[in-house]
Amino acid sequence: MKAMGVVFSNIYDSSLGELTNYRTVSSLPFGGRYRQIDFVLSNMSNSGIYNIGLITKYNYRSLMDHLGSCTEWDLNRKNEGLVILPPFASGHTGVYKGKLEALYSAVSFIDNSNYDYVVVSDSTVLCNINLRDAIEQHVASGVDVTAVCNKEKADGKKHPLILNANSKGNATSLLIDSEAEKGSLVGMGMFIFGREMLVAAIKECYAKGYVHLERDFIQRAFNEKRIKVGTYKFDGVVLRNEDIKSYYHNNMKLLDEKVRKGLFLKDAPIYTKVRDEIPTYYGKGSKVCDCLLADGCTLQGNAKRSIMFRGVTVGEGAEVQESIVMQGTKIGKGAKLKCVILDKNVTVSDGAVLIGTPEHPVIVKKGETV
Amino acid sequence: MYFRKKNCVAMILAGGQGSRLMALTENTAKPAVPFGGKYRLIDFPLSNCVNSGIDTVGILTQYQPLQLNEYIGNGMPWGLNSTNGGIHVLSPYSKSASSEWYKGTANAIFQNISFIDRYQPKNVLILSGDHIYKMDYSKMMRYHNKMKADCTIAVLDVSLEEASRFGIMNTDEDGKIFEFEEKPKEPKSTKASMGIYIFRWEVLKKYLISDNEDPNSSNDFGKNIIPRLIEDGYSLYAYSFKGYWKDVGTIDSLWQSNMDILGENPELDMREKENRIYARNYANPSSFISKDADIENSFVAEGSTVYGKVHNSIISTGCVIEKDAEIYNSFVMPNTVIEKSSVIKYAIIGEDTVVHANSKIGDNPEFYEKNKWGIAVVGKDREVPQNEIILPKEVY
Repeated sequence: MKAMGVVFSNIYDSSLGELTNYRTVSSLPFGGRYRQIDFVLSNMSNSGIYNIGLITKYNYRSLMDHLGSCTEWDLNRKNEGLVILPPFASGHTGVYKGKLEALYSAVSFIDNSNYDYVVVSDSTVLCNINLRDAIEQHVASGVDVTAVCNKEKADGKKHPLILNANSKGNATSLLIDSEAEKGSLVGMGMFIFGREMLVAAIKECYAKGYVHLERDFIQRAFNEKRIKVGTYKFDGVVLRNEDIKSYYHNNMKLLDEKVRKGLFLKDAPIYTKVRDEIPTYYGKGSKVCDCLLADGCTLQGNAKRSIMFRGVTVGEGAEVQESIVMQGTKIGKGAKLKCVILDKNVTVSDGAVLIGTPEHPVIVKKGETV
Repeated sequence: MYFRKKNCVAMILAGGQGSRLMALTENTAKPAVPFGGKYRLIDFPLSNCVNSGIDTVGILTQYQPLQLNEYIGNGMPWGLNSTNGGIHVLSPYSKSASSEWYKGTANAIFQNISFIDRYQPKNVLILSGDHIYKMDYSKMMRYHNKMKADCTIAVLDVSLEEASRFGIMNTDEDGKIFEFEEKPKEPKSTKASMGIYIFRWEVLKKYLISDNEDPNSSNDFGKNIIPRLIEDGYSLYAYSFKGYWKDVGTIDSLWQSNMDILGENPELDMREKENRIYARNYANPSSFISKDADIENSFVAEGSTVYGKVHNSIISTGCVIEKDAEIYNSFVMPNTVIEKSSVIKYAIIGEDTVVHANSKIGDNPEFYEKNKWGIAVVGKDREVPQNEIILPKEVY
């Protein structure tokens, strides 16, 4: 029962605004030291899926820089490993619009392998999941597609995929871009397919001009009763970074011990690029509380309920509250920040004041000076 | 099999037991002892080699090498996983006629002559695996070449009082060594050997072979090889090194050198980007500092969670400091848990240890007579029971 993986790096780029101007959504920094891609790659690697195709669209230099030879994820392998699949231009001009079209550019990669199953995944739903269990359930249940999903609060928020399932876990209804209701399951952007069936479906859908994986293939074929869709219910912590607001809140959720314990497991670590920073230094005048900090920071000022990435410096008398501060950013003396997302290598001048709200955090773009 | 020639091969002596570190090296080699929150002693010579452009390194191990071998792995964390050269762990091995352990520093190199010969190097750099310093060996190599020396020894200017604890080089004005004295009672110079040697391989090889044939020799670089080279009229030069250097062979010096990286302008600046020290990194999440935490003038590494008080201390990767625990002027090694309300002062707490609630370890020096006070030590893999009191200087 061998499985391979296919990961999308760019699907929801536009919804994250300034943060994805210069990078793919999958290389967006998260949680102090990670990039979003780290979660799906670590999950696959920890589940014994070592042959992975990473589909890219544009702005993927930062992604390639992050991944390097993939040693950190244990994906630098002789016979398997991670393959970056750049946009495939011949045959159709420009870049793809939907996941199905994107899969078409990877169809030979999928077809040329001898794996029985394919796990197809987005990189924006962050969790720590054992995909082996999901694949075993997929095989045992005999369905054509298994959607990995979880329960979410019925809070009126729209999700890309909503499923209702019977007691056996087989889907009884399947809705796109809908609100979660009581008892329904929310798709996590991860699907398990039989490889041959997936290849045939991609080719057929491409011939018909379909682009959207969930709508044009899974939902359509399900409604026409051509395929059986199973559900694998995941009970752990799930963080969906769909837009700037959810990205901000999900970062803040990591300050909750329960969320951290559910995401960072001793037996299934989340891997990321090594940067050889020294431990974080807390100076004499600093006061840090309720913060998540990566290595290499130097704190002389105060920080509260914030996430600090590697190599951040906070000057004397500065106050950083409820903010996300990315790698290499310098916050000057006496600066006051509240509800701010500072991208990489930002310089905040001495005494500067920036105040946002949790609903609308202020965003400072990569490399800018405030 | 042909190996590409190398200008210089580095050999790191990492076989020492480190008996003066007591409980910290019971089950591990001294070079694998943790340092500075996320490093181990061996990271310093290894990173210095890489930062000096040396890509072929042999590590001589002997005592409890499991953890050290595991840590070194294929050398990737230091960029030494190369096709030509790279890192090689060299343990004692049995030979057709006899088999023996490494008897002394020189004997360890003697037993690996064939390893060095494969690269046909002009020079061999001999290093120790238990010194804390940042040094560009290429500068020393330039000096060695400029002086056309057969052997160059790095020396540090120490105070006259300290000089009697070191091997002292007596040199003439241009740095040529005419006499070597091991721990002299009345030192004539303050140039202390740092245990870093560059030898012309041709010369060293000859002397290693003849030294091995001498049954009265203790097969040591300082005691045997260097004095004999001086006697026989070879040109030995002292290369003066300026900067931080510490032999961390004792509990006190290990504690002190960890404290030396703290502060705004530390004696040993780990923060500077040049000559960075590399280490093997494990997949730890970011550190979490809770709202009750109080951290001052301290380093806290990734993967740690701090709920208590940490002043003038180093908390290594993967530690948990529970609520109301207090840590002052101490070094806590990786993956150790300090449970609530324990108080730790002037101590070293070993790796993978649990200090249960309400323990008291170590104390301030003010309250003790000078000879009764010292750094308190809890070893590796220990479990300190609740309410336990460990006095200064005690080893648990």
